[in-house]
Parts: sequence; structure tokens; C-alpha cells
Amino acid sequence: MFRLLFRTVYTARNSSVNVNESLSLLAKCDKANCTVPALRVSNGGGLRALSTNSVRLCEKKNESVTANQDEETKTDAEADPKETKTLVTQEADEDSKVIKMAEQSEEPLVSKADDGGSTTQQHQVDVTTEQDVVTPEKVETDAAMSGKESLLSLLGAMKVDVTSKRKPKIVKVKQSEFTPMSRPPAMESTISMFQQATAEASSQSEKLDPELVAAASAAASTLPNSSQAESQLLKQLRQHEAVTEAQKKGDVTKDLGLIIADMKIGKHSNRQNARPSNQIRFDEDGQGYTHDRGITSELDSVRRNIRRNLFSGKRLNIFARKTDDGADSAVARPTLWDMDFAHQLSEVTNQMPRNGLEEMIQWTKEGKMWQYPINNEIGLEEEASVSFHEHIFLEKHLAEGFPQKGPVRHFMELVVGGLSKNPYLTVQQKKEHISWFRDYFHQKEEVLKEADVYLN
Amino acid sequence: MLIWMWIFHSGYLRDYLSVCVMLFPFSLQDTTAYPYQFQDDPYLSPRTSVEFKLFSLSQESGRSAAKYFINNYPKFFTKDFAEPHIPCLMPETVSLCLEEVSEEALKERISLRKVTAAADMYDQLLQAGTEVSLETTHDLLDLICLYGDRDPVQDGEPETEDMEESGEEPKKRKGRVRRASDIIKSTWKQNNNAERIFNLLPERDTHCYSALIRGTVLHGAYEKAFSLYTDMQNNRLSADIHIFNALIAAAPEVRDKYQEKWDVINDLLKQMSQQKVQPNLMTFNCVLKALRRCGSLGKSQALQTLSEMKALQIAPSLASYSHILAIFYKPASAGQGNTDVLQEVIAELAGTSFTCQDPDDVLFFINAMRICLDNKDLELGYQIQSLVEVGENWRLLGDSFQQSVYYGRFFNLLCLMEHIDVVFKWYRRLIPSVYYPNPQGLRDLLQALDTDNRLDLLPTIWKDICTLGHDNKSDLVEELLALMARDGHSHEVQESFAACALDIKRVYDENRGKPSLEWSNSSLSHVASLLLRANKTQHAWDVLQLFKAKNRVPHEELLGEFLSACHRDGSPQKAVELVHLSTAFCLSATPNLAKRALAEFDLTEEQSYATWNDRGKHSSRISSE
Repeated sequence: MFRLLFRTVYTARNSSVNVNESLSLLAKCDKANCTVPALRVSNGGGLRALSTNSVRLCEKKNESVTANQDEETKTDAEADPKETKTLVTQEADEDSKVIKMAEQSEEPLVSKADDGGSTTQQHQVDVTTEQDVVTPEKVETDAAMSGKESLLSLLGAMKVDVTSKRKPKIVKVKQSEFTPMSRPPAMESTISMFQQATAEASSQSEKLDPELVAAASAAASTLPNSSQAESQLLKQLRQHEAVTEAQKKGDVTKDLGLIIADMKIGKHSNRQNARPSNQIRFDEDGQGYTHDRGITSELDSVRRNIRRNLFSGKRLNIFARKTDDGADSAVARPTLWDMDFAHQLSEVTNQMPRNGLEEMIQWTKEGKMWQYPINNEIGLEEEASVSFHEHIFLEKHLAEGFPQKGPVRHFMELVVGGLSKNPYLTVQQKKEHISWFRDYFHQKEEVLKEADVYLN
Repeated sequence: MLIWMWIFHSGYLRDYLSVCVMLFPFSLQDTTAYPYQFQDDPYLSPRTSVEFKLFSLSQESGRSAAKYFINNYPKFFTKDFAEPHIPCLMPETVSLCLEEVSEEALKERISLRKVTAAADMYDQLLQAGTEVSLETTHDLLDLICLYGDRDPVQDGEPETEDMEESGEEPKKRKGRVRRASDIIKSTWKQNNNAERIFNLLPERDTHCYSALIRGTVLHGAYEKAFSLYTDMQNNRLSADIHIFNALIAAAPEVRDKYQEKWDVINDLLKQMSQQKVQPNLMTFNCVLKALRRCGSLGKSQALQTLSEMKALQIAPSLASYSHILAIFYKPASAGQGNTDVLQEVIAELAGTSFTCQDPDDVLFFINAMRICLDNKDLELGYQIQSLVEVGENWRLLGDSFQQSVYYGRFFNLLCLMEHIDVVFKWYRRLIPSVYYPNPQGLRDLLQALDTDNRLDLLPTIWKDICTLGHDNKSDLVEELLALMARDGHSHEVQESFAACALDIKRVYDENRGKPSLEWSNSSLSHVASLLLRANKTQHAWDVLQLFKAKNRVPHEELLGEFLSACHRDGSPQKAVELVHLSTAFCLSATPNLAKRALAEFDLTEEQSYATWNDRGKHSSRISSE
């Protein structure tokens, strides 16, 4: 189950295309092998183990997700199958650790599966899920087949069906599950824990079902030194049985605690992955790898913690903190230097507008454009303080210097009427207009009096 | 656009400008379009950086010409149609109106920045015995010192006048708008008008000294500036902030040793403190800029200066950080692999929008990107780019040249470090809307393609190369051909490669007259082998004839490929011709070729005789030599 979970997570990471597929696989497997959920329900301890492990798995998942995030952001969250190819190599060591953990987490689960002979099935589920990822098209048939047959067929098919991409990993898994002796010594260090875990798991089968023995021998026969492998397998199956017997007697929780305590979670430091330094830095100018990432990255993270802050150093201690006396209260008028400095700044930042809106902003600032919202009184700011009645009721300006009645008065009333309707003149201009007539009629007063039209 | 107009008119948002500024992050930039400034004119569609420069300059010179005409012939532009009045559309007064000798006339000359005319007017006023007010004298000194006693080139003036006047100035500024940076290069003449007027003054106050010291520093007379400062101290005058800023900027010029330089700066700062002059941003920027030239001393002192700024609550501008980066990352010592300081600076700045406070602010991004490129730190590069995209920060990228350098570095970094798909995403985003790559940038792209094994994209890159006008760069084209010809590919890819090769051949043929693109041995063989691989045998034969025409000698492998192609086509005649050709080139492979031809083809007697003959000819020629 955990393997399946992990695999789904892994495949989900691998490509978005695979996500749906593997999710549906998950659902399918749950349906087909209902023993797995049953296991989960049947045993409290197992449930606990399951939950703790799932938490850890989630942790792990989160972590790997965060680790991937910087990669993701680079690609702008485009789930790109090509991209992950490069990721695979990066995460190779992470993978191995996760596999380790997955195997460990399997151990308590399997050890709790003490209710009868479901272990074989459990085992089979395990293998099936393993295979699911590799060859998804096989799933339906596998689920349909009976357990042991499918195990045999699967083991036979395993070698053939694996895709070239996954081949090394699957083969590795298979070898370590069934033939501990025949694997190369180099692998021992990386997957020893994993192997131990599976060994315990496999020895758990209680009665050593003859069909299981047959399956083991069949599996062993696919490997080089078959007889040795077979005996090894059977030995482990028996060990498994013994452990299960012991656990049946009640030291379940203690054992579980031990197991959990023994578990090591290969935790990556986030920092290590968050930086691009993990990428190969190839230097053009022949310096090759500028950093030895393996060791220095850890040193880096240490140094980063104690790094000096830009502002935390000691200061020059020349100036005192400015007191807010407002010493600069007398603002001098801008000198030519100030104007030149401002000009330099504007020159430096003077970029061509990038689009129509920016151009309109610029025009508006230059005063070439109407300000929105449209205001038809724009540019008439000095008139804003003048009330309308001063424009319209101009008769009061006739009170002085003009005759009270007669043709001149009549004429001037007409002038005032016309002026009051003229929107294009300011009040001042209107007053000037009237006072021009006042002067004019004063000058012509003699003539008008002679004509007897100037009545006062 | 209609939606925005509706928003403006509906009255929900009152202030137009604030709305525009608010919207403008979302007002998308069309990355497939030409820069907006050229969109009005279909003739101005730049495809290369040269064209971009040419078109911007032509546009700008058109504007200047119009402005010149308007300002110099205001009588034709008396009608003011605009209501309300738009000042910037009306002619400015550029000529002198007041002719009489008066202080008003002097003020007019100062405001119009007529340096020599103003100095003359001042002399006339003194001769007439008129007292000039202190304020006007200050303005006059400012003017003369700023322009170094030389008339500035004004927008409305033809360039030739200036050339006559100042023949000693280097004539290197061609068609470039004159800036303050040009003035800096000019020199301060001994006893020029500024000094003369300064010496004539009955009493000199701080402002006079300030003008003179700033002028001398601006025009490179650093020693003079310091002697003026000493003079001022002897007269028991206190200096102002501008004097100190100018002197700090000049400090590295007057001392040779790092420690001495720093001592001078430190002294100046202490005197500032004593005279109760509050430093400003420019003071510290000057200090940091000076520290760039203080070698190893710079690193420690720069951090202390920065702390001092923080203690005084003066926010550093981009220029301060730019200087800090320059202090910590010398261009020569690339590959030190430690980007701590840059990371901290970026962490400090992330997400802030800047306004320009110092003319050097525009150098920050270009410097920071250089450090990223030197250290191959892609992550930081992305952070810098995102900082550029914040608010109006893009305005601080500098002029078009600096922008192209910035984007060139960013693109180079991407090509080096990033996966090819992401590179292409940026490629489409940057080109050609903001960046016209140079041949080096395109070569980086080719290498990135090679690294990620996406050589099948080469034909599209070739199209882009043509569009960008780099199809006449022979080394670039040859690199492209070499990449295409290096490995065998699937059938479709080979077909597209062959089409591309034919296109390249066409470009070569078109360019025949020009010396820039000349068929080389390798390019000919690459084209020929590409054509052969796509079964375009006839075209390949044409190329083979070109070898002779261009006096190039084909490789033996190429002839072998030709022979195989002949075999595939079943044309023994061609094979014989090939052997003939090989003989004509005096290739050492001729005997082998002839042997192969005899063995693989059913030749007629005549043909086989000719082939034998060729073989013999070759051997006899060898023996005679």
C-alpha cells in the first residue's frame, strides 16, 4: 500500500499525464484488493503504524514537493515530462532513501497482518502494486487472477514487461527481495535496511504454504544461482513465521515501538535543494565544477545561518542621529544645480512608453490630453472663485458714472444685458468693458449735454 | 480599451492618472509586437538592434527638427487653438529679447543659459559701475561652473555652431543627445570666466565657493577643488552639503594609495559632522562610489557606511547597492562562486518599487545580472528579473543599450543553465519586443539546443536569425550548419534541415557581392552532406560544382557519401563523374574512390576505363611529385 502510495506520488511528480492514470490505478487497486483496507481496519496497532507512517510519508511528500518547487517555478508550473527527466537524476539519492522508508513502513504493516493466511495475498498486493506502475495494462488481469497464479505469472513477466526507463530500479527491487546473496556488494549499503525489512516481511508467512514455496523456488529459478537463492528464500520465510508467532503472543506494541524507534527518516535539508547549486555548474572558461556541492552545500547552509547581515555590521560612527529640529526649514530656491540634477534623473529614467496607456499618461502629464473625467471648466481655475452672479448681475456697475435714464442709460442696459450672456469674458474683462464706456461717455459729456440726451 | 474608457466615464474612479497608474501593471505588453513607439509607422518596424537605434534616432531627430523650427520661427505659430492653453505645444523663447545693459538682461541670459553672453553682460555691467545683486551673481556663477564656461548645446541650435566654437572637444558624439555625462568629459580651464568673476567679487560666501568647487569637480579639476576648499576654511566659512559631496566624489582622484584615499574621505565626513552638516543619500553614494576605487579596503568600509546610513535612517538607493556589488564582485575575479552579498541585497529589495534618486541607479540591474552570469546563479537571475517587473522598476533599466546588455546577460544565463523549453519561453517573451540578440546570444541559444538535444528546432532558429539580420554573420551560420550536419536524424528532421540548408545556400548566393559571407570549405561540405542525407542529390551536385567555382576542396568523407548516394540512385555515370571530380581536386582519396566505384557499380567498359585512368593519373602525379 505504501509502495503504491509512494509510487503514485512519484509518478504524479513525474508527469501530470500520469497523475490521472495512477490515481485511477489507486482506486482500482483498492477495489480489487479489498484486503488492504481490511487490514487497515482489523488491527489497531497496524493502524497506528499506518497512520504514523502515512504522516511521515506526507512529510516526505511535502518535502519533496517543496524541493521540487523551485524547479517548478522555473518552469512556471508547467508540468513538463522533459523537465522531470533531469529531475530524476537529481533525485536519485532521494529516491533511494524514500524507497528505504517505504520498505520500513511496510514492515509494521505486514507484521500486523496476523489474521490468518492473508499474508500471501498481502504479499501479492505488494507485488501487484509494484507492477502496476510498471505495466498499467496488466492490472485488470492481475486483479482477476487468483493470488498465487498471479504471483507466479507476475514474477515470470517481471523481467519482460519492465520498461527500459524503470528497469534498473525494478530489477534491483526484485533482486533484493528474493536473492539477497546474489546482489553485488556495493548495493548492500544502500538497500540493506530495505532488504532486512522485506526479509522480515516475507518470513512472516505462517505455515509456509507449499504454493508459496513453489513460488519462491520459481522466483529463485529466474536468478543465476538458483538453489542457493531458493534456500535463502525459504529460510527467510521461516524466520518470518517465527517472528509472527512471537508477535501473536502479545509483544505487539513493544515490537512496534522498537520498530518505529529504529526507523530512520532520511531527511533532506530543504536548503540544499532550494538552491540551484545542486545543478551542475559547468564553467565555460575551463574551471569545470566551480563548487564541490557534496560537502560545501552543507557548509554553505551553516555559513548562511551565521552570515553577516548587510546592515548588522558596526557603523562609521561619524554622524549623530538627526534631531528633528527642522534645521532645513528655510527651503532655498532651486539652483541651477538642482535643476540639472533633476534633469539628469529624468533623462536617465526617460523610457519610451510601452503601450497606449502609458503614452496617454505621459500626454496627460504634459498637459496635451484632457484630464478624465471630462470637465468643461478645466483651465478656468481662476474663475472658480468667482460666483455666477458677478457674471450676470452687472447692473450694479452702472450705478456710478452713468445717467439714471435716457438713451445712454438705455444703451448701457443693453450692453450689460449682452455682457451678462457672454460666457467667454471674465468678470474683470466685463468690468473693464463697462468702465471703457463710462470713460467714453464722460469724455463726450459736453456733446451729449448739447444734444440734451445726457440726463442726470 | 473601451472597458477602461467606460470605467473612466462612469465616474467610479475620479482621478484619471491614478487609475492609469493602477491599471498599468495589467496593461499587458504584447511580446509579439514591435515596441510601441514604432507602431504608428509601418516603415519603422525594427528587426535588429541597429534598426532599432536608427529608427529611434530618426524619430527623435524628427521631433527635434520640428521643435527647432517652432522655437526659431515663432511668428508662424501664433495661433493658439488649444483651450485651455497647452504650454508645451507653443514655441519657447530661445532668443534674447533685452538688448540694453541691465541686470534684467543678465537674468534673461542666465535663464536662457547663454553662458558667454551672460559673462559678457556681467563685465559690461561692472564696467558701467552697476551693482549686481548677490542672488544674480550666484546664479551666474552656478551657470558658468555647471557648463564649464562653455555654451551648452541647446535643443534649438544647429550642431555646427558648437563645433566651431569648441573645436578642442572630441567629435565622437555623433547624433547622440547631449547629456551631463558629456559635460563631465570636458575640462576646466585655468582662469576661466568663473574664476575671474569669483576673484573679482568683493566678498565671497559659501554659495560662491560651492558653485566653484562643484564646477571644478564636475570638470575634472580635482586639485583645484581641494585648494578652493582650503581657501574657504581659511576664510572661516562653513561648507555646505554640496561642497562635501563634490569633494568626496573627487577624493579618489587626488590620492594614490587606498588608505590615503579613505583617510581623505573619512576626514571630510568628520568635518561634515563638526560643521553640523547633515549628510544625504548622495553623500553616502559618493562615499560608496569612491570606495569602489579603494581596493581591499572597500569591503569593510562599505558595510560600515551602509550601517551608518541605516543608523541615520537614510534609505539606500539602487545606486548604493550597485556600488556595494561592484565593491564585492570585481569583474576580474569571476567564478568566486559566492553570491551571499547579492543574495542579501536581493532579499532586502525584493518586491520594492523604486524611484530614481541617483543617476547611477540605472546601473544596478545590469551589474547584478552580470554577477549572476559570472556565478551562474540562475535562481538569483530570476529574482532580479522579477524585481525588474515590480512596479515601474523597468524604467531604471537605463537606455536602450543598457537594456540590451541586461537582457543579453539574462538570456545568456538562461541558455547556460536552464532547460531548453524554458529558454524558449523566455526567448519568445523577450525577442523581439525588448531584446534583439546579438550573434553571441544566438550562439548561446544554439549551444543550449545542442546541450538539450533539440537540434530539430534549428530550422526555426535559422528563420529567426534571418529576421534578426544576423544571416550575414559567417561564423554564426557556419556553427548552425555544423550543428545540423554533425549527426544523423530522423527522416522528417533531415528534410527540414535540407530545406534550411537550401535557404542558407540562397542567402550565400544573394550575398555574393559582399565580402561578409563567403563559402568556406566546411560550410560547403555541411550543406552538401545535409542535402545528400535528405536525398536531394541534384541540389547536392550543384553544391559540389560550387566547390570548384569557389576554389574549395571537398573532404574525402563527403565524396564517399556522394558515392553512396550515387549507388543508392543507381547512376554509375554520376559515380564516374565523381571520380573525375576527385581527380581534378587531386585528392589522395581518388584511388580508393575509384576502387569503390569499380567494385560497387556495373560500369560500362568505357566508364571503367576512364575510372582506371583517373586512378592511374593520380598515382602518376604522385610519383612525379
